[in-house]
Amino acid sequence: MTDKLYETLHAEGLIGDESLAKIRLKQQQTPLFSLHWEVRTLLYIGVLLLTTGLGILIYENIDTIGHQFVLAFIALICGGSFFYCFKHKMPFSVGKVKAPNSFFDYILLLACISMLIFVGYLQYEYKVFGTNYGLATLIPMLVLFYVAYQFDHLGILSMAIANLAVWMGVSVTPKQLLLNSDFDSTTIIYTYLILGIVLLVAALITQRYVFKPHFKFSYQHYGLHVTYIALLAAYFHFYESGLALVAMAALAGLSYWMYTDSFKHKSFYFLLLVVLYSYIALSSLVIRVLVSKINEAGFELAALYFIGSGVGFIMLLINLNKKLKTA
Amino acid sequence: MIAYNKTWLTNLLLQDEVKKDAAQGYITPVELKTIEDKYPVGFYTPNLFVRIGLFILTCVIVSFAQGLLSLMAASGDLIESFGWFIFLGATAYIALELMVNGKFHYRSGVDDALLVIAGSQIAGGMAMVFYKSSQSGVDFFLVFSAIVLVLGVFLTLRFTDMLMSAFSCVAFLGLVFLLWLKVIPAGLATAPFAMMVLAAGTYWLAFTNHQKKRYVHYQNCLVVVQIISLLVLYAAGNYFVIQTLSTEMAGKTGPVPFGLVFWVWTVLLPFVYIYVGIYKKNTILLRTGLLLIAGAAITVRNYMHLMPIDRMLTLVGVVILVIVYGISKYLKTPQHGYTLAEPDEANLMDHLKVESLIAAGTFSHAPAAPAPESGTKFGGGSFGGGGSSGDF
Repeated sequence: MTDKLYETLHAEGLIGDESLAKIRLKQQQTPLFSLHWEVRTLLYIGVLLLTTGLGILIYENIDTIGHQFVLAFIALICGGSFFYCFKHKMPFSVGKVKAPNSFFDYILLLACISMLIFVGYLQYEYKVFGTNYGLATLIPMLVLFYVAYQFDHLGILSMAIANLAVWMGVSVTPKQLLLNSDFDSTTIIYTYLILGIVLLVAALITQRYVFKPHFKFSYQHYGLHVTYIALLAAYFHFYESGLALVAMAALAGLSYWMYTDSFKHKSFYFLLLVVLYSYIALSSLVIRVLVSKINEAGFELAALYFIGSGVGFIMLLINLNKKLKTA
Repeated sequence: MIAYNKTWLTNLLLQDEVKKDAAQGYITPVELKTIEDKYPVGFYTPNLFVRIGLFILTCVIVSFAQGLLSLMAASGDLIESFGWFIFLGATAYIALELMVNGKFHYRSGVDDALLVIAGSQIAGGMAMVFYKSSQSGVDFFLVFSAIVLVLGVFLTLRFTDMLMSAFSCVAFLGLVFLLWLKVIPAGLATAPFAMMVLAAGTYWLAFTNHQKKRYVHYQNCLVVVQIISLLVLYAAGNYFVIQTLSTEMAGKTGPVPFGLVFWVWTVLLPFVYIYVGIYKKNTILLRTGLLLIAGAAITVRNYMHLMPIDRMLTLVGVVILVIVYGISKYLKTPQHGYTLAEPDEANLMDHLKVESLIAAGTFSHAPAAPAPESGTKFGGGSFGGGGSSGDF
């Protein structure tokens, strides 16, 4: 169907004889119809249904089955999956390692999830770790980090980072972070801050020493969100005291650091995050000034500010985008 | 009619087509560059992240600008009237036209945001007019769907937007449904059949036209229309939908007349979609069918309790996994033109993009297949290989 298109392009002298011949050859082949995504989705749904079904089945019959049996069953799945993965694993490398086949990633995921369930079950039913929750979360975390690096699995790295956050006493998934968190507690703000900085430093180290450099995105993604939100929370928490100023200064510093970093690595995503979070910070400062100084015309001025700054940030984003593309 | 520069739109489609072949190595990068220079695209279309950022910022600007305007107008009781919303929508629309015509924004986030805001405000303002005067709920929805239809068709034609075409299609089918109920005496009993015919007709129109050169800029819109009309075609004969509607609208309970027909429709139609989709190599039919199996399963489960849910889930999960295993084994090497290898591009619907442009070619009705594999990948893709391990 495209032959006419390419013949015209050829007649206009835009493509050479060799390319036209290649295109002609391609058009003579019957194109293959790919069922890749359909079958993958089916596989995913099948696994989901099966595990849900089995889960409910066990839950309903826990009295007759008994905890030991369930634990043994989970351990069997976990052990079997890990056995498979270690048997088929590719040699370790500090670069990217491709999975030996496309089921491998799923099996590794199954192994890790069943490991987490196993530990959780042990703790819930038998209180193996007692009240020593730190240890109960530390061990799975270490295992997850090890597995993520050993088998080069980004999904498990994310699980490990989440586990790190749990270990530090908070939960890191963005939704829970926004919905459940009590931002008024100072300890939580500091914990978040430390977590975010640790993750950002991890991203930096990953980059600097070229140790699994493709892991940098995950570290930086979580680190950036957590640090920004913690700094904004700190700003509002210490609204009246001088610490608010410190938080804002730190935020500005972070923005500058991430701004140069996103230019260095040509990342549109991090550039967007920097712009949006900086916009929120700047706006909260401006609103603060407007509210404290002017009472009457406060809303009109605020609206004017948002219109003007919105246009300004659009121009900024467009220009930065252009700059990043040519940089 | 289209607000965007048509030559650029055509060039964009051409560039996309050529870029695909360039990525697969059929065309050299130098040739690609000369083609791009010869057929330039002057739109401002940033990448996805910038698009999201611009969308958010545009929404902020518009809401505060309109808030400020409303605040000024509040003293004069202007904002009480429906005309105010239409006025606000009109300002957004003017801004949209200016951005598109003056700044050449195309899918940049700015035009997306303005289009959605303008459309919803104008439709909302007009709906307010009729909400007060209409007698019943049905009357109101009748008028409302007519408004959305007219507005949606206009915006679709002018901005070739997929979301707007989805709204128009739903509004059209809803309008005919409500009209049928109002005009025909035995409306509710015959409505399923009327809707089946209508949805099938809509699908057929969209399907036969979406490959035509004339409508090449509306190709994505016509794909959306196809998906929606396929879904409505199924819903029109779905037992649960019919029973719920007859209870809601006429207060009838108990089994539906011609129940058997609808049961057959409910259960078999998704499989018909899948079969035809695979046979004709039509991705849209295939994926819609797969999606609707879930609808069929939920409908059946709603009326018949064959076995407890846990056993059901386990059993279905096993059956699906067995099927997947069978397919992977069978298609380890490509068979009869089917493969499990990853398509070369991760497109939403694989082959929505145009095939031929500057030359008037003869178009066959058979939908184009996704980009074929280059020769080296032929012996079963990464996925197909997994079937042999048999460990899952």
